[in-house]
Parts: sequence; structure tokens; C-alpha cells
Amino acid sequence: MSALSALVSGLPVGAVGVALAVFVVVTAAVTAALRDTAAIVVVFAAYSLGMAIFYAVLLAPDVAMTEAAIGAGVTTLLLLLAIAKTTRPADVDTFEAIDGPALLLVGGLLVAILVTVTQFPALGSPTAWAWDSPVSQYYIAESYADTGVENAVTAVLAGYRGFDTFGEAVVIFAAGVAALLVLRAEVFTRE
Amino acid sequence: MSETDENRSPYVESPVIMTTVRIVAPFTLTYGLVLTFHGADSPGGGFQGGAVIGATILMIAFAFGIEPTRDWLANRTVVLLSAGGVLVFGAVGLLPMLTGGRFLQHALFETVGIPRKYGLEAMEIGGIAPIVAGIVVGLFFVIAAGVHDVAPNNHDDEWTPLQTFDADTPSEGSDDD
Repeated sequence: MSALSALVSGLPVGAVGVALAVFVVVTAAVTAALRDTAAIVVVFAAYSLGMAIFYAVLLAPDVAMTEAAIGAGVTTLLLLLAIAKTTRPADVDTFEAIDGPALLLVGGLLVAILVTVTQFPALGSPTAWAWDSPVSQYYIAESYADTGVENAVTAVLAGYRGFDTFGEAVVIFAAGVAALLVLRAEVFTRE
Repeated sequence: MSETDENRSPYVESPVIMTTVRIVAPFTLTYGLVLTFHGADSPGGGFQGGAVIGATILMIAFAFGIEPTRDWLANRTVVLLSAGGVLVFGAVGLLPMLTGGRFLQHALFETVGIPRKYGLEAMEIGGIAPIVAGIVVGLFFVIAAGVHDVAPNNHDDEWTPLQTFDADTPSEGSDDD
């Protein structure tokens, strides 16, 4: 037990981060294993909320807010509404039957990905490329002088990459309007 | 108001949910506005703020009924919000070109005495936030439509794919209304 606590305290995210990681992995596995779609949506919302808090622990508040609002909030509501239009199957099995070969394949893939984790730089490492690259250092040093905003994320998104963001905004608009048209425009635009 | 037959309605009138949303909604709306308007100087921004504002409207719709919310917030408003966001974003980008600059060259705002950060703020507040909020609410309304009942429309004859889709849902009787 002391070995475990020593291991946990040695990790850069701390005990809260470890607990959140376990929570996220468990909810992800439950999402895959459950059979009832309504239950899946609820567990998936819990997964998104855990992931949002995890992002906040990893000092990425902008991503955490997006995950909480879109992942845990809006997606859950849209999925629940979509499920409300379907009928519930008669069989009441709680869990999916587990497919042996598929489990083997996914497990192998998981191991292959986990092996690469050791190659990541440590959290907050000064030699991590994301921090150490000249581009990052330029943004951190000059973004306030260049754009006049204090949030470097906003400076990059709306300033340096404003044209990309314009494209993304148009993509959101176009995708949304296309979805609205496909999902029956005449119902939507009724008076 | 009009849904008297609640055979498979997803809306359940719950005093607990209604009271909770009544208390929480002003705070989430304020939070969304803060994220939007203060996103340049603190975590947040137009996307996050717009998503939280949109989620607030979804929350209100779940608590007080989707159709009353749709009546209160006209669908045309929601689409205009998104389209207006794209236009504002584009207009803010085009403004520097009037003075011979390049698209989105915010630094040129300073030639007329406007700090360059206001260009970014205008994109976030007037562009991204309305687009995201409008699309989120619009998708919600359109997915919610037809859950209670098939809405009155006179275009079933023209939309054959939808007609075959409708044929599977029984007892709607909206072939000619």
C-alpha cells in the first residue's frame, strides 16, 4: 500500500489526477460494455465530465470548458433527444456480449499505444518540444505586444491564426446549416 | 401547452428540475457571457462562451418544455444569429482592407485610434459566440422537433425520402392537414 501511495505521489498529476484517470478509464469501459443506449449516454456524460476536470488538472482550462459544455452538456442532450425518438429493444441484457477476437485486437492496440507513453516528455518539462520550440517561445514572449490580449490561446486562435479560425467558424456554420436542412428544414422553420 | 397526449414525450414536468434550472440558469448565462466577453484576458473565449450560452437555453428547454422554448425563441432568430456571426466575423476581417491592409490585419485598427485587441474581441464576441450558440440551439430544436408529434407541414408530397421515413412512424395522420 505504501508502494502504491509512493507511486501515486511520484506521478506529476497527483492523487486527484490519478483518481480522475481511473474514473475516466472505468466510465469509458462501461460505455463500451453497456447495452442500454440511455444508460450509455448517461455514463458517457460522466466520462466527459471526468475528462473536463482532468483537463483542468492538466492546466488546460480552455479545453476543459469546451469539454464540459459540448462533451458533457450539449452532446448528452442531443443524444438523449435522439434516443427518445427510438424504441427500446425488448431484451434487457445489462451488458454487451464480449467478442473474444475483438477484445484481443483492441487489447493489442492498447498495449502498442501504452508503450509509446514512456516516450512522452514529463508534464511541465522545460525540454518538452511543445514548450521548447521557437514558435511556442515566440507566442509566449510576443503575443501580448502583437495582439494586445492577455490570453495567449485567444491571441493564437483569433490573432496569429485568425484566418484558420474564420475557416473553422464557417465550417461550424455550414455543417450546422447542412444538418438543419437534412434534419427537416420545414419543421424547423415553421412559424 | 398543446401536448395533451404525452404517450412518448421526453418532457416530464418536474418541480425539482424546474426549480433547479430557475436558480442555476441565470448563473450559467452570466458565466457564458463572462467567458465570451472576458475570453481575451482570461481562460475562455467565443467558442466556450457560446457553447455555455447555448447549453443554458437547452437546459431551460429541458426544464420548461421544448415547444414553449421554441415559441419563445423563434427559430428564425437562431439561424439569423449564426448567419450574422459569420457576417460579423467576415466584416471585421475585411475592415482593415479598406485602408489598404490585409484580411484580418487588426493592427491597422490603431491607425483610426482603436486598440488592435478590439478586432480580436469583435471576432470572438460578435462572430464565434453567436455562431456556436445559434448552431447548438438550432440543432437541439430540430432534433427535438417531431419527438412529440409531427409538426404541421405541407411538404410531405415533395420530400419523398422523408415521406418514406415518416411512413414508419405510426398514427401521426399528417398526410394532409
